[in-house]
Amino acid sequence: MSKYTQLQASLTELLLAEDVENCSAWTRNALQQGVSPLDFFNEVFTPAMAAVGDKFGRLEIFLPELIDTAEKAKAISEQVVKPALAEAGVGGGGPRGKVVICSVQGDLHDIGKSMVSLMLQVNGFDVIDLGINVPSRVALNRAKEVGADILGLSSLMTTSMPYMKECVELRDGLGLKDSFFIIVGGAPITSKYCEDIGADAFGRDAIDGVKKCISLMEKRP
Amino acid sequence: MKNRARLVEVLHRAESGPITEEADFERKLVSPAIKRVIEKYKIRFDKSTIVPSDNDLADRLFQAGLQLAVEVGMYCQSTSRRILWTRAELEDGLRYCQREVVMGLGTDAVVVRVRRPEDATVPIVSGGAYGVPIPEHLYVPLSLSYLKEPVIDVIDNASLETVYGHPVKAGSPWEVLAAHREAELALQAANIAGRPGLSLGCVELSPTALGALAGASWGAYRPSDWHHVGTLSEFKTNYDMLCIVTHVARIGAGLEAYYNPIYGGYVGGAEGVAVAIVGGLILLNQVDMGHVYSTRPNHPFYNCDTTPEILWAMSIGVQALTRNTDLLIATLAGPAGGPGTKTMLYENAAHAIATTVSGQAVIEASHSAAGGRTRKHASGLDSKISGEVAHAVRGMSREQANELVKRLLSLYEADLPTNPIGKPFDEVYDVEKVEPTPEWQGMYDEVRHELIQMGLPLERIVHEER
Repeated sequence: MSKYTQLQASLTELLLAEDVENCSAWTRNALQQGVSPLDFFNEVFTPAMAAVGDKFGRLEIFLPELIDTAEKAKAISEQVVKPALAEAGVGGGGPRGKVVICSVQGDLHDIGKSMVSLMLQVNGFDVIDLGINVPSRVALNRAKEVGADILGLSSLMTTSMPYMKECVELRDGLGLKDSFFIIVGGAPITSKYCEDIGADAFGRDAIDGVKKCISLMEKRP
Repeated sequence: MKNRARLVEVLHRAESGPITEEADFERKLVSPAIKRVIEKYKIRFDKSTIVPSDNDLADRLFQAGLQLAVEVGMYCQSTSRRILWTRAELEDGLRYCQREVVMGLGTDAVVVRVRRPEDATVPIVSGGAYGVPIPEHLYVPLSLSYLKEPVIDVIDNASLETVYGHPVKAGSPWEVLAAHREAELALQAANIAGRPGLSLGCVELSPTALGALAGASWGAYRPSDWHHVGTLSEFKTNYDMLCIVTHVARIGAGLEAYYNPIYGGYVGGAEGVAVAIVGGLILLNQVDMGHVYSTRPNHPFYNCDTTPEILWAMSIGVQALTRNTDLLIATLAGPAGGPGTKTMLYENAAHAIATTVSGQAVIEASHSAAGGRTRKHASGLDSKISGEVAHAVRGMSREQANELVKRLLSLYEADLPTNPIGKPFDEVYDVEKVEPTPEWQGMYDEVRHELIQMGLPLERIVHEER
């Protein structure tokens, strides 16, 4: 087992443990032991978070644990990794991209969308969750206002699907097509529907949604 | 109904309970409370037993669920307040719950009665496409595919994909129009089938109160039909839902209140789902004042309720409630598979066995992952298998049921992640004659024969009076 693999396994374990303070202290200690901040971010922190995401994908952990992990990761990033990177004068350590996410108007389902939101966070995205039953203009305005890379729309009901189409039409009609991508998901949504309404990607579930967002970010200029 | 006398008190508490942020309700109240009661009452899932016969575990689970209901209450999104009840109030609500109800009219009426684990009576069989999106031209033939099955006592409808060719848009006049159109087509189908008084589930997939209230108005569904009110996961309601509760209470109609916890979500794993079912349905009795309380927990990735963990949670959850209360409990089969697959037939059989021997008063079938994801994926045989199996397992011991469910799991569990959606209605049925295709009927007959070989008395003719 390489040094980084060992550290990654230890960090994964710590992220899933109860104590929040330990994570930041442990990270500081790792950096003091000679691991560069950039290597820590790329070889330890990011893979450890991906490992936590995989555990959720296999339902070895559940949503409350995923939420706790996302919060610990945020603390590690804000309190230790980012300052260390800045001190070392190197870039990196920032979010993979900014995602605004919501359940569209007429849809009150929250948990599936929250799972996607958290999986994006543990995979390094900055996520702004607008909640449920969000009117199209509110979602679009917020995405524009915060400079989102991606707007994620969830619908679990056929009766709220028309609002996804409305969102895409409004984005394009308002001249925002090049400003951010739109990814859609939810039980009745298919890749064909995504294509039909002109959305940019379809996430089959939380795991696939993360993969698609990563792919979309690779297309960003 | 006598249990609806507290309607004004429910509405008042939604306006006056403690103010809480919605995110805090789930994260800081529901999740920790569930973990605490699981620990306190020693609720443990053991994968070797899918249908438990441990009465002490069922009774501990009931206490855990009741404590959870007292601690967290229900959250009203519209007012950001918790609707709280004391233990004594919840117990009083259970003591005077509706323990028998007539569904339907005339010769098509059936009586739902309380059942217990290993009960020798047959549960009421509710068949239908449970909200699967269906085009208008197939609505009547699809409905008839269920209505033609005599094992089905009451119907729950499909959802119209469009209304007069236009998308049904939530919270808009289209939702109102779709509700009226759904009622028109559902009643037409019941009349064609010669079952005009049969109780029809209405309005499927009404996302706001608009559709539900329009569907419960003059010219649409009747008070003898059964209305639905949902719970937003986890333990949440809102003004739309409370509007439905209020309207249905005032027209004196039957109401099915349902709560579908998410496996792996805020409630956690199998034990958490079981506690949530018990606590959730106790709260629905108090807040929604229905006549039947239903659950269909959901797997977050397979969108089904037929994994071992969820079957266990449903079985022990239903046992906890039917051993300790007179509530009329139902569960909805949620297979991963769709029509034209053996997977779905095995899944629905396993669900029917696990939940019927646990004491449910109504078996509901089915809303598959395939149907939720893909239009037109539902058919009459999907429900028929559940009904036939529910009849066969009356009086069966939980131990025998456990062995049967484990055998069935070994036949379908590996298929769950493969998204076995099967075929749409018009490819598994002759739409003109409303008959299963020879291929689909043949598959059904093969599975039925396999079930008989396993020891399920599906060929038994005589059954007890209801």
